[in-house]
Amino acid sequence: MTLPALSDYFIPEQQSELIELLQRFGENAMIVAGGTFVRGLEARGLLAEVEALIDIGALGLNGIAADSSGVSLGATTTLAELKRADFIQGDAAFGAVKDALACPPVQILNVGTVGGCLAASAPLYDVPATLLALDGTAHVTGAGGAREIVLTEFFTGLFENALQPDEFITALRLPVHAAGTTSAFLKLETNANDLAIINVAVRFTLDEAGLCRDARIVIGGGVGECYVRAGGAELELNGTKPGDDSFQAAAAAVAADIDPVTDHRGSEEYRRYMAVVYTRRALARALERLR
Amino acid sequence: MKKLIRLNVNGDDHELAVSPDETLLGVLRGPLDLIGPKRGCDSGGCGCCTVQVDGKAVYSCMMYAVSAQGRDIITIEGIGRDGELDPLQQAFIDAGAVQCGYCTSGIIMVAKELLNTLDNPDEDEIRHAIAGNLCRCTGYQKIVDAIKLAAAAS
Repeated sequence: MTLPALSDYFIPEQQSELIELLQRFGENAMIVAGGTFVRGLEARGLLAEVEALIDIGALGLNGIAADSSGVSLGATTTLAELKRADFIQGDAAFGAVKDALACPPVQILNVGTVGGCLAASAPLYDVPATLLALDGTAHVTGAGGAREIVLTEFFTGLFENALQPDEFITALRLPVHAAGTTSAFLKLETNANDLAIINVAVRFTLDEAGLCRDARIVIGGGVGECYVRAGGAELELNGTKPGDDSFQAAAAAVAADIDPVTDHRGSEEYRRYMAVVYTRRALARALERLR
Repeated sequence: MKKLIRLNVNGDDHELAVSPDETLLGVLRGPLDLIGPKRGCDSGGCGCCTVQVDGKAVYSCMMYAVSAQGRDIITIEGIGRDGELDPLQQAFIDAGAVQCGYCTSGIIMVAKELLNTLDNPDEDEIRHAIAGNLCRCTGYQKIVDAIKLAAAAS
């Protein structure tokens, strides 16, 4: 056995049953959706304390629903289902999500889930960076009832988030964005099946005067314990006319917004430099989407 | 504590007692003696354990066996019919796409999903489809050729 403390594997069919299990096992319960994150941790010996694995695939939390105020992605919606979803196909605002979903291999897309990639709370992942840039909100439920957590407040550390031990994600909600909104995502990686050295998700809206508004620039990968909102770079971009000069200036500001790590994938200096380059390219890619 | 589970693999039902943290790959290669899916990295990085679950390519090393209950599981052993090779298997032979063979079953299983989805994939689509599978003999060109050959034959 690779999970020495494991006592049982549960497949609850009701949310109340799941909450009871989470209360019973507390921090030693591990929710399994697609399983890719859990197995990755298990293979590295990081789950020695886990007593209960809880598969949430029978709760019916999958599915995508769009209405006039936004799109709701059920927690167990697979990344493959999201990739095929109508709402992201021709809409520049969701371009970043489409870009990020081009990264994982099909075997991960087929089982990995929207809720799972958020709950993993690892800034090395690609899709959550785009959901952050699109102002996503996690809908969660637990013993104390349902609540909403904006993603900017959801991630609290490496593998840590704002969920209480008895809470789980039920859905991720993306708001409707103003006309003229566009987004893009780029990833720097060592090979086709690796975690990001750095990744960048950007979004902005062109207003009636043709100026950038509501900029979001999110940097992930080896940038520390959480994704970083590059606030200085966003300020730099807002109010400017989109183009090479303004994108270069905004991207340059990213260098001061992040504090990257040095590891086997890249040095701090390399990451900082490439975050600037990839931000500029992502902004250009987003602008191209509006043309 | 072992759990009693039922799995349907290659059309056959099996009842098994497994550890709750046993993977689908472990059950296939262990009690079911289906050694076509290979154990490589055992953590979702190499693709040689790829099988189909409900028609979708998955890493069997990353799926718990308990969660695979009630699903339609197909391994490389289950894709031929009546003693005949699957057209993809034949194409891999004809194109000389098998060197050491360790990655082959995984790549054929992911290529099957590709050819079920697209009738005539181009080279980019083929290369993208096998991006989650490593071939350490570096024989990708012949693998791509084999998938093209199978697509043309179907």
